[in-house]
Amino acid sequence: MAARRALKAVLVDLNGTLHIEDAAVPGSQEALKRLRSTSVMVRFVTNTTKESKQDLLERLKKLEFDISEDEIFTSLTAARSLVEQKQVRPMLLVDDRALPDFKGIETSDPNAVVIGLAPEHFHYQTLNQAFRLLLDGAPLIAIHKARYYKRKDGLALGPGPFVTALEYATDTKATVVGKPEKTFFLEALRGTGCEPEEAVMIGDDCRDDVGGAQNAGMRGILVKTGKYRAADEEKINPAPYLTCESFPHAVDHILQHLL
Amino acid sequence: MAVWSERLAGVRGVLLDISGVLYDFGPGGGTPIPGSVEAVARLKRSHLKVRFCTNESQKSRGELVRLLRRLGFDISEDEVTSPAPATCQVLKERGLRPHLLIHEGLRSEFDEIDMSNPNCVVIADAGEGFSYQNMNKAFQVLMELENPVLISLGKGRYYKETSGLMLDVGPYMKALEYACGVEAEVVGKPSPEFFSAALRAIGVEAHQAIMIGDDIVGDVGGAQRCGMRALQVRTGKFRSVPGWAHLP
Repeated sequence: MAARRALKAVLVDLNGTLHIEDAAVPGSQEALKRLRSTSVMVRFVTNTTKESKQDLLERLKKLEFDISEDEIFTSLTAARSLVEQKQVRPMLLVDDRALPDFKGIETSDPNAVVIGLAPEHFHYQTLNQAFRLLLDGAPLIAIHKARYYKRKDGLALGPGPFVTALEYATDTKATVVGKPEKTFFLEALRGTGCEPEEAVMIGDDCRDDVGGAQNAGMRGILVKTGKYRAADEEKINPAPYLTCESFPHAVDHILQHLL
Repeated sequence: MAVWSERLAGVRGVLLDISGVLYDFGPGGGTPIPGSVEAVARLKRSHLKVRFCTNESQKSRGELVRLLRRLGFDISEDEVTSPAPATCQVLKERGLRPHLLIHEGLRSEFDEIDMSNPNCVVIADAGEGFSYQNMNKAFQVLMELENPVLISLGKGRYYKETSGLMLDVGPYMKALEYACGVEAEVVGKPSPEFFSAALRAIGVEAHQAIMIGDDIVGDVGGAQRCGMRALQVRTGKFRSVPGWAHLP
């Protein structure tokens, strides 16, 4: 740790870290301003499968966060950049609300499959269609592989099981683009001219935010808001670089010790 | 080709897969694969014992046999080993009350099974029944059980309909396994118990039998692991994929 380079970038998770649903974490707007008064670059990174950047931005504005669209990097952004990199025409198995993030992408005569959380598309015929594309060699790109999520009416299947189904049917492996994948964190830094060793990630999910970032070579700070449960910090090895109460505390630590 | 007579030496019984070997499923029931009606008749005229061994799980055994007879095949219900009756036996033996994620056409096979207050999930090729809602319901039943039991009628990846390749039960079984962190119990090919039951029915030992199928894993691999010989046909779901030819 002695050879750590100076901090150049801070990655911040959104839901659970800056805000919880429609309420800001107390003191967060103020803390973000303090962070911005320094020389570090700030990026906002989140796993989302159904909210477009525009949706996220509107919510953040309502909560009076000073954030611009090009500072947000989501798992949908990551999927889009992979699609552009591979120059493929995807069949988009994503929630209709996520479609704006794929605006301008050619989707006719598809030769790839992008799969997110899209209960309204997870039906036999649609999955058969995706399956046939994969069998013809189309790559499978998964926004993430969550097993299930909590809905008002109880637990509901996430995209993971359907990704697994298609993987099994075609004997292939999906490229997963969201947190905690290493490539997600590296992509988020692309264009910043900053190495992983010069970045820190702040989030409430010990495995996906902190573990993922540390695996990519960054430092990880776990905050005890959002989905945090007691002893979460013991779930990963090596342990988080730091565990603290909330985003404002994390910012204070950065200002005092990392700059 | 003299090798063939050696490789077939001592064969007394033939297990025949149905879908993709005898016929392709499709609108109006399906179409026989050219020459197969006559070939089944020739086999039955020979000294060989013939047993139909299928993972068909969209329709009941009775309905399947009626369809095949309409297509011209010489076949009767008691010549068929299929997973639904085998599953009912497992359910009865273990006092299991299933939540069914199956095709409507198969439901009659479970007429005598108690389905109140389910303590397991039975999944079969549900076709259009594989909706998000139905998958979710099965998932929720499993998540509420202390010891979740998932029984799958076969675990095939896909099969061929006249309109193209379709996802079989296997991928949906894998989806539930992944979601719930359980491992399904498979009734049907390639499970050894299933092949043994088919062989017992014609009184033939594994080393005296040959399995004919279009599925390299379910039919060919499964049968060979049980000590049978196996022959893969290039109809049905067969695809010439590099590498497959090198499987033992």
